[in-house]
Amino acid sequence: MRPLFLALLLFAAPALAAEDIVSGLSQDQIEINSSYTGADIVVFGTIERPAAPQGRDIVVVVRGPDTQLTVRRRDRIAGVWVNREAARFQGMPAFYFLAATRPLAQIAGPEVLDRYGLGLSHLAPATVITHHDPQPFREAALRQLRARGLYTEAPGSIDFHSEGLFKTVVPIPAAAARGQYNVEVYLFRDGNVVSVQSTPFFIDQTGLERRLYTLAHNSPTAYGFAAVLMALLFGWTASVWMRRMGS
Amino acid sequence: MEIYLPIAEMSVNWVFLIGLGLGVGFLSGLFGVGGGFLMTPLLVFYGIPSTVAVGTTLSHVAASSVSGAITQWRRRAIDFKMAGIMLSGGVAGTLIGVWLVDHLRRQGQMDLIVSLSYVLLLGAVGAIMLKESLDTLKAARGGIVAPSRAVARPWIMALPLKTRFRQSRLYISVIPPIVIGVFVGMLSAIMGIGGGFIVVPAMIYILRMPTNVVLGTSLAQIIAIAAITTVLQANTNYAVDILLAFFLVLGGVVGAQAGVRAGAKLRGEQLRFLLAMLVLLVAARLAWGLVATPADIYSTTLGAPD
Repeated sequence: MRPLFLALLLFAAPALAAEDIVSGLSQDQIEINSSYTGADIVVFGTIERPAAPQGRDIVVVVRGPDTQLTVRRRDRIAGVWVNREAARFQGMPAFYFLAATRPLAQIAGPEVLDRYGLGLSHLAPATVITHHDPQPFREAALRQLRARGLYTEAPGSIDFHSEGLFKTVVPIPAAAARGQYNVEVYLFRDGNVVSVQSTPFFIDQTGLERRLYTLAHNSPTAYGFAAVLMALLFGWTASVWMRRMGS
Repeated sequence: MEIYLPIAEMSVNWVFLIGLGLGVGFLSGLFGVGGGFLMTPLLVFYGIPSTVAVGTTLSHVAASSVSGAITQWRRRAIDFKMAGIMLSGGVAGTLIGVWLVDHLRRQGQMDLIVSLSYVLLLGAVGAIMLKESLDTLKAARGGIVAPSRAVARPWIMALPLKTRFRQSRLYISVIPPIVIGVFVGMLSAIMGIGGGFIVVPAMIYILRMPTNVVLGTSLAQIIAIAAITTVLQANTNYAVDILLAFFLVLGGVVGAQAGVRAGAKLRGEQLRFLLAMLVLLVAARLAWGLVATPADIYSTTLGAPD
């Protein structure tokens, strides 16, 4: 039975090897140096053995490292606005960007979108910790992260240069977390995922920024003394300098 | 003009930071205060996380205070015994304060407590200074001389553990200076201030120290507290951004020198009146932030579980 199955598979292979995608990134490393103000990553790709463009869709998702979102709601107590209720969402990406050829609802059904976590409304946290109804907290978090450029959903933002060549630009704001990011490119055919390709890239500090950050966390006492010494030295230099100028 | 701060993890304009250091430094030189009470809220308005603002401002305070302290030290106007005893309380206060900051940060109440402490403290100190400077100005116009130095208050005289402070010509208990030290150390860790505007009035009105040693002694104590708090904040909260400190200090020391020169041209009660107005202005702005209806009642923080 088994050899027969394999033979069948081999025989059928050329016919099954239908559409596929090959994608790449403009860079696999973003370095945070002192002049860092954010970066743009270009995701590009080609469709191999393209079939009819009708019924075909491409979705590009960029996910940052997993993090916890703490959402707090303020309430007025004796005239003062105080943080009172909170909800924590664990296992949410620190950065989320989605580009698609069409609005997501036209590409696939909600079960498919839920399964792959495609679209902000289909993004599910691993755990939710709260004593309250999490929905308003979740909506507020999505709204605020969109405003900060950390969560983006941009249907229609994939550019086709020829029949099978596409690209999309992912803007990474300076506030995006450091760590591993994954770029997933999905090929949809009639509402089903037929191919996925995943490529990682990294955001990390480099040069002086990295040395200072490492020092601050690995030898905090030395780092603290360095800060104090710098301050005292500057103050002393300025006072000597001014006395010379004065006399 | 943009620079990325490694600890605050954000991109800022460094020319603005030098300007901020310069401006606050000028005011601190002018009024003979550390300027932390201005710097911390300004950094927070600019968008620096409040933990980092509090942790970093103190290096600016230390730098601005150094030249003043050197001048006073040359005049032998520092009571090192008094400064040392206040400092022993200050270290304890700082430890409590740094622990509180850590705790409040986890609870999400850091911003509230910082703002509330500012409003209460600046409001009270500003009001007292305003009243006092207006009284002095009025008295000067009327030709009445205000009583300069009274004897220590009776309740202070009754406390045990008395010791002699030769430089201050005082024979009082060590308890009041230690208690003042603990209080100021706590505020320094929570609010990112050196505490000059608390220490100076406390020395004059509670301890009844002679005014000629008050400034030098408070400066020496402030520098020590600022140094200790900076090291502790770096250890507990990883909240000292040395690059941010660099730009603030760079502007700050130059501004402070200019401020001292400008201050020499103004009379003491005029300076106190201006400082009182400035303190009240900051308090009013922060109070408005607490009571005004926020644009969004929700706030989202990203980060590892605390």
